[in-house]
Amino acid sequence: MNLASPPILQRQQSGQPQSAAVSAEDTSFSFRTTTWQADGFGFDATSGEFFTASPTALVVMQCLAAKMSTVQILDRLTSTFDVPRRTAERDLESFLAELTTLGLQD
Amino acid sequence: MNSSPTIAVTGLHRGENPQPGSAVIRSLRRVYPELRIIGLCYDTLESGLYSEEDAPDAAFTLPYPSAGLEAFWDRLDAIREVERFDVLIPCLDAEMAPLVESPEKLRERGISACLPSWKAFEARDKSKLPDLCERTHCRTPQTVAVNDVSSLHQAAAGFGGSVFVKGRYYEAQLTSTPAARESAYWHMLETWGAPVLVQERIEGEEYNVIGIGDGRGHILGSCAIRKMLRTSNGKGFGGMVVRDPQLDAVAQSLIAELRWNGPFELEFVKPDGPKAEYCLIEINPRFPAWCDFPSTLNCNLPAAAVELALGWQPREPLRHATPGKFFIRHAIDMTGDIRDLAALTTTGQLIRQSEEPRAKGREPQTRSSASHVA
Repeated sequence: MNLASPPILQRQQSGQPQSAAVSAEDTSFSFRTTTWQADGFGFDATSGEFFTASPTALVVMQCLAAKMSTVQILDRLTSTFDVPRRTAERDLESFLAELTTLGLQD
Repeated sequence: MNSSPTIAVTGLHRGENPQPGSAVIRSLRRVYPELRIIGLCYDTLESGLYSEEDAPDAAFTLPYPSAGLEAFWDRLDAIREVERFDVLIPCLDAEMAPLVESPEKLRERGISACLPSWKAFEARDKSKLPDLCERTHCRTPQTVAVNDVSSLHQAAAGFGGSVFVKGRYYEAQLTSTPAARESAYWHMLETWGAPVLVQERIEGEEYNVIGIGDGRGHILGSCAIRKMLRTSNGKGFGGMVVRDPQLDAVAQSLIAELRWNGPFELEFVKPDGPKAEYCLIEINPRFPAWCDFPSTLNCNLPAAAVELALGWQPREPLRHATPGKFFIRHAIDMTGDIRDLAALTTTGQLIRQSEEPRAKGREPQTRSSASHVA
């Protein structure tokens, strides 16, 4: 698993085709100002920007929305996906940095 | 005043740089299908004159602004001998100044209009935005008004070379080389007159806010969008409704400071980054070409402007458009008839007569062909 590699979380530019929808079991949820759908489509009502995210990225943002700790998020990831904890740890760190770059996380 | 008022609208060309008039007409007919609407045009090939859905009931040519104010008022009086319109909704930047400067000329003719005060109109002039923004604690790109090529290059150098060269009323070109800058300067000077504006380039997403001010510092209704699609010269060709309290607060602060009366459009750029602030690019003193989009979302600002101008009780409260709704422009070919063009060209007017009362909801109109009126 590589949480951070594109197109795990991708800002959609005008005129850019959508990446294939990803499946996820959970329903929609809000993380910061963005509302995420179960198919990985996110819309930020304050900025008008929209994004697509992979199932793993969705799980992480769901955990962040629920104010889970890094340890709890890693537990969730390793129990949900077939990934070594060390790899998940590295990818999570990278993904959180990406969220900050996109303005989706402080 | 007529019991059923007649509304005059300008700016009817929906070309590459669409003018707002046809969108205003479309919005008015959504809620007041019985209104008689006349179009005032500067060119007989303004596309809105030939539309099945947005065309005015009658159209009259106006002299170009270069003909002078006397010619303008004389022509308006001549038009009113044929069509005694009650409300004027000016939709072009260049025609705003003389109307705002002399509102009594409209009043004495019995014409109502939602116009800002001269003081507010001047305060939002492109060259005076820094002063306004300082008073309202709003960010704005550095802008310098120039009257010669030497000052142009000097200002551009101070902003890092890549700058917007803007016309006094309209149009902007992004330039990166001295040659391009100079070419843009002469174009803006010839087209819009002096001064030409040189503006620092700020990269980021563009946001626009359309609304109506009540003249006492309040916004009666508004809608904010992020530009999704832009033409090669930066005009919005698609936009997504957003709802950001920060943007609403900036807009409210500007309109309160100006005590703006009537339609407006605020244009912002927001640089990338979570802490970025909205940066005011300009304030347009009229409806923009996308003004019919909010009307489809229960925020009919042109209808509200007519109600305000006539002193009517608002039909219903203006609602906030739902974030996520978006518009995309779609160019189509329309069929015109040479008889319409001939009538407008030779007599300066084109009168259409509906055979049936207009149905609510913009159903296709049945019209007789144009008739000449001597």
